[in-house]
Order: sequence, then C-alpha cells, then structure tokens
Amino acid sequence: MDAISLEVFRNLFASVAEEMGVTLQRAAFSPNIRERLDFSCAVFDVQGRMVAQAAHIPVHLGSMPASVQAAINAFDSFQEGDVVILNDPYRGGTHLPDVTMVSPVFAASELVYFVASRAHHADVGGMSPGSLPLSTELYQEGVIIPPVKLMLSGWINDGVLAMITANSRAPQERLGDLEAQLAAHRAGKTRLLDILIEHGVQNATEHAQALMAYSRRMTQATIQTIPDGEYTFSDALEGDGQTEFHIPIKVKITVKGSEMIVDFTESAPQVMGNVNAVEPIVRSATWYCVRLLTDEDIPVNHGCFEPVTVLTKVGSVLNPEFPAAVAVGNTETSQRVVDVVLGALAKAIPDKIPAASQGSMNNLTVGGIFQGQQFVYYETIGGGHGASCTADGISGRHSHMTNTLNTPVEALEYTMPLRVLAYGLRDESGGAGQHRGGDGIRRVYEFLTNATVTINSERRINAPYGLNGGSPGAIGVNTLIQAGQSRVIKGKETVQVQAGDRLMIETPGGGGWGKA
Amino acid sequence: MLVGVDIGGTFTDLVLSKDGYLTIHKLPSTPHNPAQAMLEGLNTITGNQISALERVAHGSTVATNAILERKGAKTAFITTQGFRDVLMIGRQNRPVLYALQPQLSAPLIPRDQCYDVPERLDHQGEVILPLDMAAVDRVLDAIQAQGMESIAVCLLYSYINPVHERQIQDRIVERGLMERWQVALSHEVLPEFREYERASTVALEAYVRPVMGRYITKLEQQLPQGVGLRIMKSDGGVIGAERIKQQAIQTALSGPAAGVVGAYHIARLAGYENIITLDMGGTSTDVAVIPGEPIRRPQSEIDGLPLRIRLLDIETIGAGGGSIARVDAGGALRVGPQSAGAVPGPAVYQRGGAQATVSDANAVLGRLDADHFLGGGMPLDIEAGRRVVGEIAQQLNISVNDAAKGILEIANINIERAIRRVSVARGYDPRRFTLVVFGGAGALHACDVADRLQIPRVLVPRYPGVLCAFGLLVADVVLDYSQSIMRLVTSTTIDDLANLLEDMMEQAKNDLIQEGVTDRDHRLYHASLDVRYQGQAYELNVPVSDVVNDICEAFHRIHARTYGYAIEARAVEVVNLRLQAVGIVDHPVITAESEKVYQPRPSGQKGDFALYEREALKPGATFTGQALVFQLDSTIYIPTGWSARVDGYHNLILEHA
Repeated sequence: MDAISLEVFRNLFASVAEEMGVTLQRAAFSPNIRERLDFSCAVFDVQGRMVAQAAHIPVHLGSMPASVQAAINAFDSFQEGDVVILNDPYRGGTHLPDVTMVSPVFAASELVYFVASRAHHADVGGMSPGSLPLSTELYQEGVIIPPVKLMLSGWINDGVLAMITANSRAPQERLGDLEAQLAAHRAGKTRLLDILIEHGVQNATEHAQALMAYSRRMTQATIQTIPDGEYTFSDALEGDGQTEFHIPIKVKITVKGSEMIVDFTESAPQVMGNVNAVEPIVRSATWYCVRLLTDEDIPVNHGCFEPVTVLTKVGSVLNPEFPAAVAVGNTETSQRVVDVVLGALAKAIPDKIPAASQGSMNNLTVGGIFQGQQFVYYETIGGGHGASCTADGISGRHSHMTNTLNTPVEALEYTMPLRVLAYGLRDESGGAGQHRGGDGIRRVYEFLTNATVTINSERRINAPYGLNGGSPGAIGVNTLIQAGQSRVIKGKETVQVQAGDRLMIETPGGGGWGKA
Repeated sequence: MLVGVDIGGTFTDLVLSKDGYLTIHKLPSTPHNPAQAMLEGLNTITGNQISALERVAHGSTVATNAILERKGAKTAFITTQGFRDVLMIGRQNRPVLYALQPQLSAPLIPRDQCYDVPERLDHQGEVILPLDMAAVDRVLDAIQAQGMESIAVCLLYSYINPVHERQIQDRIVERGLMERWQVALSHEVLPEFREYERASTVALEAYVRPVMGRYITKLEQQLPQGVGLRIMKSDGGVIGAERIKQQAIQTALSGPAAGVVGAYHIARLAGYENIITLDMGGTSTDVAVIPGEPIRRPQSEIDGLPLRIRLLDIETIGAGGGSIARVDAGGALRVGPQSAGAVPGPAVYQRGGAQATVSDANAVLGRLDADHFLGGGMPLDIEAGRRVVGEIAQQLNISVNDAAKGILEIANINIERAIRRVSVARGYDPRRFTLVVFGGAGALHACDVADRLQIPRVLVPRYPGVLCAFGLLVADVVLDYSQSIMRLVTSTTIDDLANLLEDMMEQAKNDLIQEGVTDRDHRLYHASLDVRYQGQAYELNVPVSDVVNDICEAFHRIHARTYGYAIEARAVEVVNLRLQAVGIVDHPVITAESEKVYQPRPSGQKGDFALYEREALKPGATFTGQALVFQLDSTIYIPTGWSARVDGYHNLILEHA
C-alpha cells in the first residue's frame, strides 16, 4: 500500500466519523450531548474492527468495538436500513446511560461496514435520577437494552422506542437524543457510501486494513521506546458505595520489544456496589495510556490495540459477572486503571509520565419534582492534573478518561431548581514539588427544592500520588450544609436535601513531581 | 475617491476607486508601524492627493496581534463573588484529548488581576444580593495600586439586568480611576447567556480596546480632516473608526473576512450566486461557503480563548504553500500542519528552506516557473525543490514526480475535508457551487480541489492577490444588535417582541445615519430570533420574515429542515432577538467589456504546459489545459480536460472542457 493513498484514505474514513459527530451534536437535545459533548462516533469493518473514530471521550475509545461485536453476535443477518441499539454492559455496553447504536452499511447488497455512535443519556431510569445510583445489581441502574433492532429495513420500531423512553425520567429528551443519533447514522452511511462508490469497495477495504497495519506499526514503535521489563503498580478504590473499604487495583505490565502485556488479574474480586467495570472499559483505559505515549497524531483504529494484550480475571472488579452493579465503573474505576498503568510505566520511563491527576469525575446527579415537573440533572467536575518532569499540572480541568464541558451556571439555573454559589479553584490543593500539581475545584450548590442527590466520587481517602519525591495532591471533600450544620459526607452517597440546603464539592488536586 | 487598504504580514495592498475605474498598488508592509506603509501607499495611489479622498476602509490586525503576542493593555477583571476563576476554569475541558501533559494558552489577565465582589441576581434578573459598594471600593483600591489600563466587568445575568455592572462603572468613573471607555461591561459587549463565553469576550475587549484606540487615534491624526475612516469587522462589515474604538474586539478575526467579501462581490457581478471561497496562503488556507448570502456564525475562538462575536463562517486549516511534507515512523506521507512559513520558506525560495513543502512539489511538477514567480521578481531554484522532494521520494522508493504529486494530493485532500465540513456537513451540495480562488497559492490547487468535490467551475478574479483590499472597498456598513429574551412562546410573544424590535430599529436607524448612511433606501434591516425547544442547549436562528403565523410553526419547519425532525408537542422558547442593520455602500460601478471569442497565442511552451500572461488575455479569450497562466502575484494551473475563458470582467472562468 503506498504512502500517499494511505494518507488519503485516513482522511476519507475520518471524515465519515467527523460528519456523524457534527450531525449528532447539532441535532441532540440534552445539554449532556450538545453542551458537554459526551458522545463518540466510529466506523468499523465487517469483522467489527474499528477503522476510524471521532472521539471526544477517551473512555469510549476501546469500548465501542465490543458494541459492534455484540450486535454481530446477536443477529444472524442484517438488512439495509437496520439499526441495532444496546446499552447492556454485559453485551457490548459500558454502563446503562451510554446508549450505543450500530448500523450495517451495504454496498450492492453486501454487508461491508458498520457505523456506530455512543451517547451518554442523562437518565435511563433506575433507582435514582441520572441513572448512576448506589446500586447493588444492574437491574437497579435503569432500563437494560440488549442488542435489539430499533430500525428494521428502514422502518422504526416504535414499540422499542416507546419502551426505552417510558423508562426514562425525561422521555421527551430521550426521544430527541435518540433521533439525533439516528440522524448521525444517516449522515455517516451517506458519506461512507459516497466513498465506496467513488473508490470501490475492494480498494477501500484494502486501505482500511493498511491503515490498521499502519497504526499497529506506530504503536509498536512507541512500545519499543519503553525498556523491556516487568513493572507493577497498585492503588485502590475507596469503597463500592455500600461500604468504604480498600478495593485494590493492581497491574503488572510486561514490556517485551514492541509488545506489551497488561495484567490486572491480581485486582480485587468483584464487589457488591457500583464500581465494577466491565472489561471493555479496562481495555479502553489501558489503550488510552498507550495512546498518550505516541507523539504522532496516529489514527485511532483496531491496529492501535493489537500490540497491547489486556488480561483480567472473570469475577473480578475489572471483569464482573452479570448482574453485578457497574454504574460508575465507567467513570471512576476507569480513572484508577489509568493511574495504575501510568504509575507502572513511570518506573520504566520516569521522565515522560506525569503524577496522578484528580482520579475522579466527581459525578453529581440531582433529581426530584419542582413545580409539578420531574427534573434530572447530571454533571461532572474537573480537578487538578498531575505535574511531570517538564511542567506544572493544569488546574480545574477534566483529566484522562473524560473531557466533557461544564454546563454554564446561567444555563443550569435557568432550567434546574439549583443555584451555584461558588465555582473556583481550590487554592493549594495541588501537590508540592519541583513541578506543582494542578489545583482542584470548589463548587458550592444551593438547592431550591427538596431533591435526591447522589454523589459518586473517588480520591476522598487516598490522595492522587506524586512522583519522584513530589507530594500527593489534596484529597477531595464533599460537605453537606443543612440547617446551618455542615458535615462531611462520603465519597459515594445518596442524600435527601431540603430547599435551602447547600452542598460543597471540593475536587482533588493533582500530584506533584520532583522534590520541592 | 474611495480606497480599500489591506495590511498583511508581508505586503500592504491598496485598491482605489475613482469614477468607475480601479487602481491597485502593492508595497512592503512596515510591521513595526503598520500605518507607515498605509500612508505611503495612500500618497502614491492618490498621486499625493490624500485630502481628495472621501473614505478609507481599512482591515487591521492590531487587535489580533495584541492577543496573539499578549501585548494588550494591563487589564483587571471584576465578577460576581464566588466566580473569580471563571476565566481560569473555562468550560473545564482540556484543549487536547490525548496529551501526557496538557497545557493551556497563557491567560490574558493573570489571576492576581481578577476580583470578585458580593452581589447576585437570579436567572430572571431579580436582585437577591445587592452590590456591596464598600467591597467594590476595596477592589478598586487594589486595581489602582496595580496600575491597570482597563477593566472588564462580567456579572452573572447582567444581560437581563445590567444594574450592578453599571454601578461599578459609575463608581470607577466617579473615583477618577479611569474614563468610562476604559471599562468594558459584559452586557454591552455581549448581552447573551453563558458566563464563561461572555466573560472571555469582555476580557478580550478590555484587553485590546486601549491598544486599538491608540492606533486609530494616531491614524486619524495623520489622515487629513474630512477623510472618513472605516474599519473591517470579523463579520465582513465595516463601521466608522469612532465606533470601533468601543468595539475593538470586533476586528480580532477580520483577517480572512475581507477576501471573502471581495470574492462574493466579484462572483455576484459575474453572475454566480453560490460560491465556495478558497484562500490559500503560505501557512494556512481559509475556506467559506456562500449560498447566495455570506453565512455568519456567533462564536469562534482566538488562541484558545472563546470569542463570541458575529463573524463570517470561515474554516481555517494549517495547509498552505509552505506546509512541510515528511514521511512518518509508520511509513505514511504527511503534509503540514508544520510550515516553513515565509522564512526559511520552501526550498525553491532560496531562503534556507531545507524541507520539502507544497510549493516545492508544485515547482517540481513545473507548475511554478523559475522566471515568473512574483512577476519574475523572485527567481526560484527548481533544482533545490527537486532535491528536497527527492529525499521524500527516496524514502518512499518512488520517482520524484510521483512524490511531488503525492504531496499535492495530500494537501488537496486536507482542503477537500475542510470544504466538506462547511458545505456537505451543513447540507450544501458543492456540485451547485462555483469555487472562487485567491491568495498566493490557491490557483495552483483550485482545479484539483474542484475535481475532488465535483465542483463544476472555478473563478479566478482579475487580481487575486489584492482581493482583500477590494473587499474592503465594497464592504457594507453592518451593525448588530441583540437582546436576551429567554421566554417560552405564548400568544402575546409576537406583540411583545414587535415592541422591542421597534425600539431596536429606531436605535439602528440613528446609528446608521451617524455612520454616514443618510439615504433611506440604503438602510436595510434583518431581524431574527434565536429559538430552541425548551431544555435544548443550542438555538436555531429563525428570520422574522419566515414567521408567517406564529413563531413555533416557523421553528418546527426550520428544525425539521436542519435536523430532519421536529417535536411539535414540545414547548418552544425564544432566547435572543437579533437585528442586523446594513448600510449599503456605493459600490464602484464596474461594467463588463464585451467578449470577443478568440484563441490567444501562448506566450511560450514549457514541457507539456502552454504558458500565458494574464495581462495579455482579453475578454473572450478561450483556451484549454494543460496550461499555466502567470500574473504578478499568482500562478494559475489549468490541468488537461479543463478549459479557460476570460469573461467581461477579466475573471478567468475554468470549466471542464
């Protein structure tokens, strides 16, 4: 395959995912998708290998292939115009709010590609508003959608759509967002077909394979720069939302030449609460770390994944068995997986790897009834980034597995019975060092009505680590102020609040690098 | 006599219009003092009769450069208590998804110049905590001690109720700390919701206002009395220098706008309504789609800082003549975004460039001629081009010519992708458009790019190198007004809005008269509403002229057209009322010469190329590729299978033979 057409096809495939993303964002209904860009779009070959992706969210990076595989496994055949929808974490999903659609693409009545989109829907039912509850089994987390055909030969299955929206606390919003995903699929299919018509199916397929081989070579070249050896690191989650206890996350990385085995089998057994992470999430987090090491802007596709083998143990917190609760495995456990992988790599290439970032997404969900209307709100909060050999960590931003935007205060207060009293940097929360960790955020809310509030956060007990003698970042603190009394609440807790109550969330700082 | 002046990094271009005739002039820029070249050029082009000028329209990069180089005013920032860090946190995302050590661009206003004061409004503009004046005074004491030149004020919900922002400004003036113009209030600069974007925009305004003010004042002093000075804004309109002093940030993204305006006028004159513009320079390429009328969008960013002003919808990519080609570790040929710029530049320029660039590839394929570059003023070293492209060829084990073709193909696909983003992704079919090309390098790539997108026609204006200056000459006066509404649509909404709109139009009329648009027939108004479904995060712009019976019906229709669905059961809310007031400028009357069809004789032949001199081609000239057409600041490449025709306006029209 020549170097020139390789670059041409890389642009062609990328444009498919890109145009899907533009359509989805513009047509979506919820702030979570339109303002916060919590979605990704991708193209897969007929075997379900990823060819191109337009990702905003790293946690989607390596977990979407599992969705396409699940769709392939679930059906004997596909027709032109079919769209498969799913969110079941045990059959191609990650956690229930992430709803994925997969469309087969046909050329001359032969199945040749798939396009897929994943978007985080703000509520898909379950025991608490926002669908990130302190659950003990999957059934409590919302509506479970196994791979089913939402569209059959171009005809929408209104029954499936009605079932899904009926299970959400915001059915109209769900409808708008699902329609937007369908619009994105129409755009993606149109663009892909244009390319296939212009360049020929066979030619495109050969180039798709060449692009995967290219990304594999680039990834191998990166791994080659890491000294051979075994590197271990261990950290822990702080409880499963039911009880606070140490849940070890352990990794052993074996680097040999241009291959890497990342072994998590020594991590804790699965737990009762919601921090279990299905295996695609673990793969995603691992591949994200490897992707960080590559200097070039290499196309993200199946080839990036090939040189990295991820091992997990069935029945562990990183590969739980149905129907274990998984609501925040996607957001919190994924961050800890990154911390241990980078921690281990720091032993191999200390000059490249930064200290731990805040290590949490600080998920807040609020729901209730205001003026006779159901409301549901979900947001995540940024924090400090780890410092490195070359620079201070940045402050008050999302790190690693997420990069969603905040909801403007002036938009939030207009639509929700909440008031934000403060939103600023948390001074001195970054770890000291030759290079300082970034500072976390302090965000204070006042509730204007009675509501159910759920927090899922981490790094409230174990601080984000420093490296090479740098100090750890400050731990995060969640404080509830009721009737003038303030009390620190747990990292993962559901509380009932009254109008006038306040909540202060202080997010962790990043670790420092080098002795101060 | 009217003049348009475009001050670029390398050249200052002027176009003068007098009695229906256009004169052009080009001279080297004087970056240390941009006005110097401008005045020198004005003297030359008017024959030392500057005072006979009625008006000068000017595109300025003073604000842009002040931001990019962080050489703006010393600015303080005041906001609502609890939100002092709003500029630091931004939207809390990091700029690059995959980065071991993400970095942010340097803040305009350091954190120790940011202050908050006790005060709070709710989302309906009701005061829930009155402004604490004693606290304001303490903050002003600190600002005084820091010796600031300007202050940006952004309080929550000031776009609904500006009372506290005004009180702070009054207090600053009352204390004699600063003059009123030095205090930029967010509700005046951008009366719209989303606090970070508003804060960022007002901070940018305060940061550039003193710099721009000094520049314009100096310019005005050097121009004779009575010569009107107008400045181009990012939306492609011009306004008087006095007004721009209060809206300096409006110029920050005006760089690529003038060319698009120029292209739009030239194409319309020649009878082409739907155009895609391609402006390719040394380091970057700008593309825009004009479906009958230029599209404006409400937001962009500059150096990573959000800037919410109306601007022409132009997509910029890092692909230009100086973009560097290389083979990466995985064996793929890559072009850009690294650029050799003007110095060292492409290897063929002989200024020390040692890496293969897009221009080198063009030279290798004979599309740049050694003796015709810049009218022969800059001899090219083609062998140097072969050498650097040869290095690429060697790594790929292909011929030098194939390597050069590959470099161009990759540059072209990058441009294609950018055009797709502004056209196909927004529902415009490029097959119904004409590609209007300008800028130094554009005409070398235009036909190939047009082929990739099945664009049937390419138009190369008579003077592609001074199109920006021409755009300045023909740009209309554009004033924008907006008012935040944030209300669900009810039966009384239309009447309420009509009253508001009436006030806005009255204001706009007075402002246009002040701008010198005294002829009533030259004043146009476009009113529109930003509308969304309740709970939706982004709005669609609905022209008031589309509202036949009620707002909801028009919105459902536009939503369905744009996104393919409408939810008629859902409540609809009006977010903003907007008014754009346009003052039509008297355009130079350019009449078409009659076309006498003839086949011009090539001025030479080089390899497979027939060579033509642009100046020698008369209306009606018709010939086919492959050919090269040379002119002072551009070379036009016409591939095999394309035919060229010179129209009555001396435009070169390229179409498939």
